[in-house]
Amino acid sequence: MSVNNTSVRDGYIELKFGPRWKYIACVRGFIQNFLAISIVDQSKADKIAMAASELLENAVKYASKDDTHIVIKVSPATEQIQILVVNTADQESIDTLLTIYKKISEGDALQVYVTQMKEAALRSDGKSHLGLARIRYETGGDLKVDVHNREVQVSIAIG
Amino acid sequence: MNRLNIEKIHEDRMEVEVFDENSNICVRFKGDIDMEDPGVFLDPFFNQLHEGMIAQKIKEVKADFKELNFLNSSGIKAVAKWIMKLTELSDAEKYTIRILYNRDITWQVTSLPTLNFLVPGVVKVE
Repeated sequence: MSVNNTSVRDGYIELKFGPRWKYIACVRGFIQNFLAISIVDQSKADKIAMAASELLENAVKYASKDDTHIVIKVSPATEQIQILVVNTADQESIDTLLTIYKKISEGDALQVYVTQMKEAALRSDGKSHLGLARIRYETGGDLKVDVHNREVQVSIAIG
Repeated sequence: MNRLNIEKIHEDRMEVEVFDENSNICVRFKGDIDMEDPGVFLDPFFNQLHEGMIAQKIKEVKADFKELNFLNSSGIKAVAKWIMKLTELSDAEKYTIRILYNRDITWQVTSLPTLNFLVPGVVKVE
């Protein structure tokens, strides 16, 4: 997904910020307000705000540069929303992300989420590795991860 | 103060408080749990709650999430960790967790009922 693919009929916003945890709640609130004027379905708006918040948490936690940004694209005709979160990470974080993504991408979304919750409960390192499984289950959206050099792009499309 | 002597947590925009409720216990969550590692506060809280429930042979705790606006996945991990502790108990020690959720908050409708699958039979979501 890229902003370059956006047609003139689509609307989008792009936010770029230094990776500070405190900013995530502000961005989540901003996205909810943006979506309130863009789409009618409140439940969908809530799911998108949750997904954006979880993706930003991951991006901020593992960012190795001050270049975290998020793009939210709205297609008015279909009310389809796409979110893209981009950051730069070190190779170890990228490998972990790809392993989690592979693990949570297949099988029944609820089963995968419950399994990830059980595994998270056993972790003692302060990490949950639960965000992507949660997003997949709660939004039912199409989740993708792309890595180019050290740039990580995580996107989700919610119809 | 409640009978488990657990103090209220008020950190950032999160509030968690324990109340006595007849012969049982109620835990009320309010605000937003969206800090980087909420387990720092929630893990000791849930440990104290769990130990108190066993020591005082209390058979039910109500976990009221109705006023919780947001819970990030690290917060869900902390709740799951608490629930999973029930698998370590004998039948005599086991207690029931009744989860109350708000049907107007989307993440609660989708995420909280899934906690029922962690330890079937001891978690009731209503």
